[in-house]
Amino acid sequence: MHSSPFHHAQHPAFTRTSRRDFLWQSGLGLGGIALASLCARDAHAQTPAAPRPPQFGRAKRVVQFFMAGAASHLDLFDFKPALIQHDGKSSDFGEPVEAFQNGLGPWLKPVWEFKPQGQCGKPLSEPVAALGSVVDQMAFIHNMVSKSGVHSAATLLQATGFQLPGFPGAGCWVSYGMGSLNDNLPTFVVMPDHRGYGSNGVKNWDSAFLPAEHSGTVLYPGTENPVANLFPHKAGSFLTQQADTDARSLLASLNRTHAQPREGDPRLEGRIRSYELAARMQLAAPEALGLQKEPAHVLKRYGLDGGQREWPKEINDAEESFFFAQKCLAARRLLERGVRFIQIWSGNDNGFPRRNWDSHEDVRRDHGPLATGMARGCAAFIEDLRERGLLEDTVILWTTEFGRMPSSQGGKGRDHNPFVFTNWLCGGGIRGGITHGESDQWGYKPLDRKNPTLVYDVHATILHLLGIDHTQLTIRHNGIDRRLTDVHGHVISPLLA
Amino acid sequence: MNRIPRQSTPTASRPSIAHLCAFLLLTLTTSLLHADPVDFVREVRPLLEEHCLRCHGPEKQKSGYRIDVKSIALTGGESHAPNIVPGDTARSPLLTFIAGSDPDLRMPPKGDLLSPAQQQILSRWIAEGAHWPEEASAKIAAPTDWWSLRPLQKTAPPKGASHPIDAFVAERLQRENLAASPRADAATLCRRLYFDLTGLPPSPEQLDAFLSDPSPNAFARLADELLASPRYGERWARHWLDVVHYGDTHGYDKDKPRLNAWPYRDYVIRSLNADKPYAQFVREQIAGDVLFPNSTDGLEALGFLAAGPWDFIGHAEVPETKTDGKIARHLDRDDMVANTIGTFCATTVHCAQCHNHKFDPIPQEDYYAFQAVFAALDRTDVRYFDDPALTAAYRPLPALQRKAADRVAALQKDLEKDAGPELAKIDAALKAARQPGTAKGRPEYGYHSSIEKTQERTKWVQVDLGRTVPIQRIVFTACDDDFNHIGPGFGFPVRYKLEISDDPDFARDVHLLMDRTGSDQANPGTTPQTAEAQGAQARYIRMTATKLAPRKDDFIFALAELEAFDESGANLALGGRVTSLDSIESGQRWSRKNLTDGISPIKSTTTAKTVAQLEKERTELLLAKATPKIRADLDAAKAEQARLTEKMKTFPPGKTAYVGAIHYGTGSFKGTGPDDGKPRPIFLLARGQVTQPGREVAPGALSALHFQPARFALDPAAPESARRAALAEWIAHPENPLTWRTIVNRVWHYHFGAGLVETPGDFGRNGALPSHPELLEWLASEFRDSGGSLKALHRLIVTSAVYQQASIARPDAQARDANNRLLWRQNRRKLEAEAVRDATLAASGALDLTMGGPGWQDFVVERPEHSPHYRYDLHDPADPKCHRRAVYRFAVRSQTQPWLTSLDCADPSMRVDRRNESLSALQALALLNDGFILFQSSTLAARALRDTAAPGDADPKAAVSDTQVRRAFRLAISREPSMQELSQLTTYARQHGLPATCRLLLNLNEFSFVD
Repeated sequence: MHSSPFHHAQHPAFTRTSRRDFLWQSGLGLGGIALASLCARDAHAQTPAAPRPPQFGRAKRVVQFFMAGAASHLDLFDFKPALIQHDGKSSDFGEPVEAFQNGLGPWLKPVWEFKPQGQCGKPLSEPVAALGSVVDQMAFIHNMVSKSGVHSAATLLQATGFQLPGFPGAGCWVSYGMGSLNDNLPTFVVMPDHRGYGSNGVKNWDSAFLPAEHSGTVLYPGTENPVANLFPHKAGSFLTQQADTDARSLLASLNRTHAQPREGDPRLEGRIRSYELAARMQLAAPEALGLQKEPAHVLKRYGLDGGQREWPKEINDAEESFFFAQKCLAARRLLERGVRFIQIWSGNDNGFPRRNWDSHEDVRRDHGPLATGMARGCAAFIEDLRERGLLEDTVILWTTEFGRMPSSQGGKGRDHNPFVFTNWLCGGGIRGGITHGESDQWGYKPLDRKNPTLVYDVHATILHLLGIDHTQLTIRHNGIDRRLTDVHGHVISPLLA
Repeated sequence: MNRIPRQSTPTASRPSIAHLCAFLLLTLTTSLLHADPVDFVREVRPLLEEHCLRCHGPEKQKSGYRIDVKSIALTGGESHAPNIVPGDTARSPLLTFIAGSDPDLRMPPKGDLLSPAQQQILSRWIAEGAHWPEEASAKIAAPTDWWSLRPLQKTAPPKGASHPIDAFVAERLQRENLAASPRADAATLCRRLYFDLTGLPPSPEQLDAFLSDPSPNAFARLADELLASPRYGERWARHWLDVVHYGDTHGYDKDKPRLNAWPYRDYVIRSLNADKPYAQFVREQIAGDVLFPNSTDGLEALGFLAAGPWDFIGHAEVPETKTDGKIARHLDRDDMVANTIGTFCATTVHCAQCHNHKFDPIPQEDYYAFQAVFAALDRTDVRYFDDPALTAAYRPLPALQRKAADRVAALQKDLEKDAGPELAKIDAALKAARQPGTAKGRPEYGYHSSIEKTQERTKWVQVDLGRTVPIQRIVFTACDDDFNHIGPGFGFPVRYKLEISDDPDFARDVHLLMDRTGSDQANPGTTPQTAEAQGAQARYIRMTATKLAPRKDDFIFALAELEAFDESGANLALGGRVTSLDSIESGQRWSRKNLTDGISPIKSTTTAKTVAQLEKERTELLLAKATPKIRADLDAAKAEQARLTEKMKTFPPGKTAYVGAIHYGTGSFKGTGPDDGKPRPIFLLARGQVTQPGREVAPGALSALHFQPARFALDPAAPESARRAALAEWIAHPENPLTWRTIVNRVWHYHFGAGLVETPGDFGRNGALPSHPELLEWLASEFRDSGGSLKALHRLIVTSAVYQQASIARPDAQARDANNRLLWRQNRRKLEAEAVRDATLAASGALDLTMGGPGWQDFVVERPEHSPHYRYDLHDPADPKCHRRAVYRFAVRSQTQPWLTSLDCADPSMRVDRRNESLSALQALALLNDGFILFQSSTLAARALRDTAAPGDADPKAAVSDTQVRRAFRLAISREPSMQELSQLTTYARQHGLPATCRLLLNLNEFSFVD
């Protein structure tokens, strides 16, 4: 019976048609197709008897909040009574610790009070107490671990799954795997901090070796030019609206004449269609970002009823709340219009005066306004999605590059803590009101050091919710079948509703 | 005798596992004395298949172990190898794993263990000698038996066509029963060749000249002409820079500019234009400093090693003793290794960083042998001179000077120990004195311009350093004056820029260090502002205010101090002559000379004592308690420091390049320079983890190639450069089959849009197979044997009928070979981002063909002192500095040029062997609405008007004529428009003007595609 050698499964490299080839053949995939997700679903369709894994494919969209500079888990979400008890005593980690700067000062208690919130009773600190209204929908992971304590590498790791520049952002992978849900807006939108980019700039969301259409499109809501080149630059003052419209139709006609004797090259027709899509985007993007069209009660919920105004020089609650909420409301409108993946940043580069979460000097000074603004915006956003039924199929991830140390730097600030930090997820098939994975009594390392959670697991879980097996979403680059999750990652089942 | 005692004697010790196994075995053999031996195929293999194969089979080979291949199963197992010892159950770790007694080592790692009965079967099988019939083992090819690793085999071209390339391709087409396509028409060929060889379109005149040349050699002649043009080197250098991921900033966090990266870019262009033999081109880039010591090329070429990104924080802020510092340096070498072996040998050696390569015969040790080659290097600016002797003489001086300074500091530190409480007092006073404050201790405030009624006035002030010198950084500090309650930051401009030049009039050779003219700047108070110059050389420093500071109801420009520091930290500007557009020159407070007097608010104090006085007191205090010996030592150390400073001043300005070299350290960053360039030890890292170093690895190359030993025979005391020289010779060796195949395939790729091997960076098992293996062998051998002339290779390719075929797809052939792997036609190619840009400038006539030098910058830099913000949106597209070819662009990594990026420009953060090709709405918007295209549309329109103007034609309001439209069309598209095209476009132009028409032309599919 077993006279033959082992059955050789063919090496995947030889059997897989590149998705890009497939897209070429099917006419560029500019429309709303979800290829890889179909492929992943097919795998299950083949065995109808096999039960569908829980929540597989429940979500359609993703929103990722990224706190640039490393937000302190200890002062926001991960309550550590031991630090209150031992506040000011010299810290003892029970092992040698490599601090990034001079972060091994005395234990430093959370700079704010924590109070239980929601039915689940999760303690949240004062500046993020606004999230209490949605905390029963949120699932916390307190045993996240990074592989680097350096901002750039750690930010890339959370954003792209790799510590080096040159890898596609998570949103690019989702765009590549699932395609677009609309035909007039980008698939993957990035809203940077209003002050500018964080560490690594566009390397956190550009498409690297994936086709450029999967790149994050940078969008600044509430500004004159929310998307680059959406409308003619001032050097084009010679151009009237009519000249623009007439140019489109003449261009299409001349291009079709050109394509006629060149049959069999789908790129020529594809390029004609890309101009049609561009014209639709010119109408759709301003409409989608027309926040002022929202009814008064919605603007009030987001705290946007006061409008834009002059802000004080120093970092402050009102300014942070305004800009963060503006992005949140824009995100909701974009989700409704079929944007697949939205990345929202809080915090600029690691410069001075502090304009991001890198609170080496004073946690209260920087984290206070940033966290207050973030929590107000996030809470309004989640409530809004919940009321509109969008939370069902939108998965939300809150992340940062690493945590901060339970010890001080001698004063009011905390050093980098790559050994443990917090993520939270919400919606799209996530079980609410729970915590998965604890940190130790200090919030220094995971309680169970052998079983930490890494970004790969979080990404695997999000892809799972989207109906994608993270090991199957690959592209060949420089000799390796690259994945968002590298060679790691496990779906975190306890997080699934 | 085989009877087993029922009870052990009370005195016997507890049996070991081995005893137990032996006991068990004995029991089993006894009880099954006459049973048949275990049958591998029937009993063992199904167990392995069911429980082990998923992770240790053809799909995955965790720990490099396979249980389906006999040779691997019986020998492999990483640190536990061999997992199976036939006949010895006690020494076969496999049995321990499946027993599951150690939860960290149990197999399978999750789920149920094998049942005791199943475990017994495996145990018996091993005890009986692990008999495994050969035919029941999965077959794997000998790993080194792979096409790209075999020696080059040159075979004569098949009979038939006279051109060797045509002969090889025709033979294959014939076999497949496919016909080649006819020759493309002359205009198509002309445009194709211009873009391929120069990256620019033919002008209408160049096209006409070619079309009217009746000679049968016209095309070959054109090829020679274009290959001789400097435009050729610019075009092909761009391809090369993609592959080596060249960029002008570090990338990562705080993406700092690399102001001296460009000499490498110019080296590549120069080398290609000079048609340098390829072996020399290779050797220079890896070890030019030792192999070509008498040339500046040999040094500038080392920019190759430094081309990729660099983690500033991971190196400069995290010491090598910390884990994150180790990781940063490990990844930095990884980049050098991957860049070198990927570029020259199309081998994915970086895949063997954590484990043996999964597909190719590259053991992990090979990877670390490559790392050992670069173990002494870092990325750094190196100062050099046209005279190599000067370069050599200068090289150690900065480090020696730093050592002398350290010695002075160390001696002083010793003195401080004995200085007593008095010192603490002085130090506290000094600290206070150095604080920026509102109080003004000294009356010499600074420079003050004349007073203006409007803010939008431009004023400048400049410092003469006396001679051209390399400058590391410039620091400038605002004034502090309570006038109108302004205080710190008094007179500091709202918009300004900082430039350096050798020209006192700043009319030419101006180097812009800081540009804050694009938007209003927050007033920094008296916090000193720093502009990094990174060794840029100049005699004059000029600060220009373009928007003045408000005072009361008027506006001024004032500045307290301007300092310029050299490598040793000396202020070159101190006492320097100051000139300015104007100055109020009012008493002691406001005078030009105050700008370089060393007095600024930050160095003032509320007490009468200045920093200088306090420092003097401090020195006196320290010396008071010093022994004569320490005094003498200190004097000697200071004298040495001064001597070196003087010596360095005797050198001419020289040049600076950013290259892979020994780093002598800056700030907290220590290179290997202080250890005389001794390479860091390189260890084999388990799973690629710096925290898990294994044995030390010696420098070497791929062990799968046998033309010379894989580990370099080097004296352990040999300098680090010997390692690089050995690697350079290994790569450039005539018998290295990868090198020659790789380069001819890369060249082919850019001529056809696809290589003979479709994966130009991967000739391994995960890459593609050659479509025409014999042709590749012939080309590689021919190229190597005839001296490695790239220009000869280009000429050979473009003169073939294969290259000159039409690109029209034929349905019959399309159905058979849709991807045109067999080359039955030429491929239609979409122009790369840079070619679209350069072609636009060529058409409009704006293209500036100035070659070389620092890259042009089409952005405004904000906040340069920490993390520069590169603001492309603030750039003026009319700026003629940015109308040079795209290859001379200053390429920022963290904020890639958005317009080019939307057109699939190579990302300098990653090695790009093949560019992606995409079409998107954002691309369409970039070509329709970006300032660059719109400005050039106007420029092209103006040119078309100019070119077609008849004398006396002066009415700009006259209707657009079809002559003008025709001219614009020919400039953009390189052919005559058809009657219909011309009439449609002229109608449009009459309605909407010529600039709008030019914008349309630049958006045509035909503009972006080459047939």
